[in-house]
Amino acid sequence: MLILYSIKTFKMLIDKKILIEDLVDNFPFSVNYLSSQGIKCIACGEPIWGTLEEACLEKNFTSKDIQEFVRELNTLSKNN
Amino acid sequence: MSIDINKVLKTLGISDVNKGVSTGQEWFETKGAITSSSSPIDGKEIAKVKNATLDDYEMVIKKAQEAFKVWRLVPAPERGEIVRQIGLELRKYKDDLSALVSYEMGKIFQEGKGEVQEMIDICDFAVGQSRLINGVSLQSERREHRLFEQYQPLGVVGIVTSFNFPVAVWAWNSALAAIAGDVVIWKPSSKTPLTALATQKIISSVLKKNNVPEGVFNLVVAKSSVMGDNFIADRRIPLMSVTGSTAVGKRVGGIVGKRLGKTILELGGNNAVIITPNADIPMAIASTVFGTVGTAGQRCTSTRRIIIHESVYDQVKNSMVKAYKSVASKIGSPLDEKFLVGPLIDEHSVNAFTHAVNSVEKEGGKILFGGEVLEGKGFESGNYVMPCIAEAKNEYEIVQEETFAPIVYLIKYTGDIYDAIAIQNNVPQGLSSCVFTLNMREAEIFVSSAGSDCGIANVNVGTSGAEIGGAFGGEKDTGGGRESGSDSWKIYMRRQTSTVNYGTELPLAQGINFEF
Repeated sequence: MLILYSIKTFKMLIDKKILIEDLVDNFPFSVNYLSSQGIKCIACGEPIWGTLEEACLEKNFTSKDIQEFVRELNTLSKNN
Repeated sequence: MSIDINKVLKTLGISDVNKGVSTGQEWFETKGAITSSSSPIDGKEIAKVKNATLDDYEMVIKKAQEAFKVWRLVPAPERGEIVRQIGLELRKYKDDLSALVSYEMGKIFQEGKGEVQEMIDICDFAVGQSRLINGVSLQSERREHRLFEQYQPLGVVGIVTSFNFPVAVWAWNSALAAIAGDVVIWKPSSKTPLTALATQKIISSVLKKNNVPEGVFNLVVAKSSVMGDNFIADRRIPLMSVTGSTAVGKRVGGIVGKRLGKTILELGGNNAVIITPNADIPMAIASTVFGTVGTAGQRCTSTRRIIIHESVYDQVKNSMVKAYKSVASKIGSPLDEKFLVGPLIDEHSVNAFTHAVNSVEKEGGKILFGGEVLEGKGFESGNYVMPCIAEAKNEYEIVQEETFAPIVYLIKYTGDIYDAIAIQNNVPQGLSSCVFTLNMREAEIFVSSAGSDCGIANVNVGTSGAEIGGAFGGEKDTGGGRESGSDSWKIYMRRQTSTVNYGTELPLAQGINFEF
C-alpha cells in the first residue's frame, strides 16, 4: 500500500497505488469524483477491491489519465 | 413496537469495543485498525471492532488447517447434530439477532427476522443433508471389481459476505460446509461486523457443549489490505465463496482461477419482471412493489426492470405509481414496524442512487415518481431516499448496470413473449427473473431452453427472495455459483472415483495386456 504522507503537514496524499478501500474511507469525496469519470468505487454498497490504478485500467484509462486523476484528487483533498 | 437496542447489544454480548477474531469459542486480542460500525438508521456509532493483522490471519488459517484434520473424521450425521443445535440456538436469539441485523444494516425488522429464519432453515436443511451425502455405485467392466464415487471433505472454505444479508449468507455456506466436513473462515462485510460477532457468540455455546475443536468456525474482521487478494490467492483455501459486486467477483475469479481453486461467486443481478397481456395485474403489482422497494432495493434479487406489454403498459405504470405513493408514507426507521422501507446502507449508496436517477434522465428517460433524498425529522442520517420509478430503454447504459438502491425502470415491449424475453436477457447479469402470465404457453416458453437465461426463473412469483430448498445463484456476470439447497452441497466436497479389486486376478482396464 503506497499512501504517502507529507512531512510538513502530515496530510495523507493520494497515489495511484492507493487501495480503493482506503480511498473511500479517507477521501470520501473521491467516490463522486471518480463516479463522474465513469469509475465505480462502490458496488453493492462495498468498496471495490484493488487499487485506484487497477480500477482505472479496467475502464481503459491511460497512464496519463490516471496521473491526471491523482493530481485532481489531491487538489480536491486540499479543499476538503 | 419499540426495540431497546442497548438491551439487544447486551444480550448478544456486543460491547463498546469488541475483539474481531475468533476461532470458535476463543477470541483474540489483535493489533489491527480499530473500526467502528454505525447504524444507517440514525447515523450513530453502534460499537467498535478491533481488526485483524496479517499475523492474526496466519494464526487462524493454521488453526483451521489443524481443525480440519479432526473435523473431517467426525461422521457426517454427528456434524449435522452440531448444526442442528446451532439452529436451535439461533431460534433462541432470533428476535435479538434480527433487531441487530435491522439496526446495523437498515432492513426493516420483519425482513431482519426473515433473514435469521433463513439461517435456521438452512441449518434444518443441512441436518437432513448430513445423512444424505451420497455417491453412486457403478458397473465395473472388470470381473470382481467394484466401481463407485463418493464425496470427501474439501478443507478450508473462505467465506466473504456482503452487508445486505450480513448473516444469512454465512449460514448458507457454513451449514453445508460444516456437514460436508469442511472448516470455514468468515470475512464479514466491513459495514456489518457486529452481526457477525453476535452470530459467532451465539454458536459458541454449542461448540463448547460438544467439544468442537477450535478452528472449525472461524471469524476474522479485517480490512481488504490485510485480507484481500492474499486471502483469495491462498492455496490453503481450496474453495472461496464470495458474495459481492461483479467487479469483485471478476477479481476473485481471476486470482482463484490462476491457482485452479474452486469458487462460489454470487454477484450482481439486473433482475426483470415481465408483465404480459395475460397477467393477473393486481398480483403482479403487489409482488413487484415488494421486489423493487423491499430492503430498499438492496437485495441481489431486487427487481431492477419491469418489461411490460404495450397493451397493459399504462395500466401497470399507473398502478405502480399509485402503489409507490402509498409506500411513500411508510419510509422510516426499520425498527418501527409501521414502516416498510428503511434507509440505504450509507452515503455512498445514496450517491449511487442519485447518480442513477440523473443518468437515466440524461439518457432520455423520464422520472415518474421519487428519486429524492429525504430530509427532515427521522431522516437525519441522510441515508433515506424516495424510491424511484423511471421510464427507460433497455439499452441505456445505466439500465445495463446494477444500481444497489430502489430505482426501477419501466420498459415497454411489443410483439410476443419472445420479444420480452429477448429484452430481459439482454443485460450482462443473469440472476433472477420472472413472468406474470396466466397463459400456459407464455409461462412454459419462459422456463424453457429458449426462455430466461437466469439462474432463477419464476412464474407468477417475483424476482426477490428465494426458498432455501432450491439452489440459489445466477449466470453470466452473476458468477455461476450455487448456494443453499438442492445439490449445492457438492461444491463443498471433492468428488472421488474408486475401483476396488476383490478378486485374485489383475485385469487392466480396456483389456490392455501388460505382461513383464
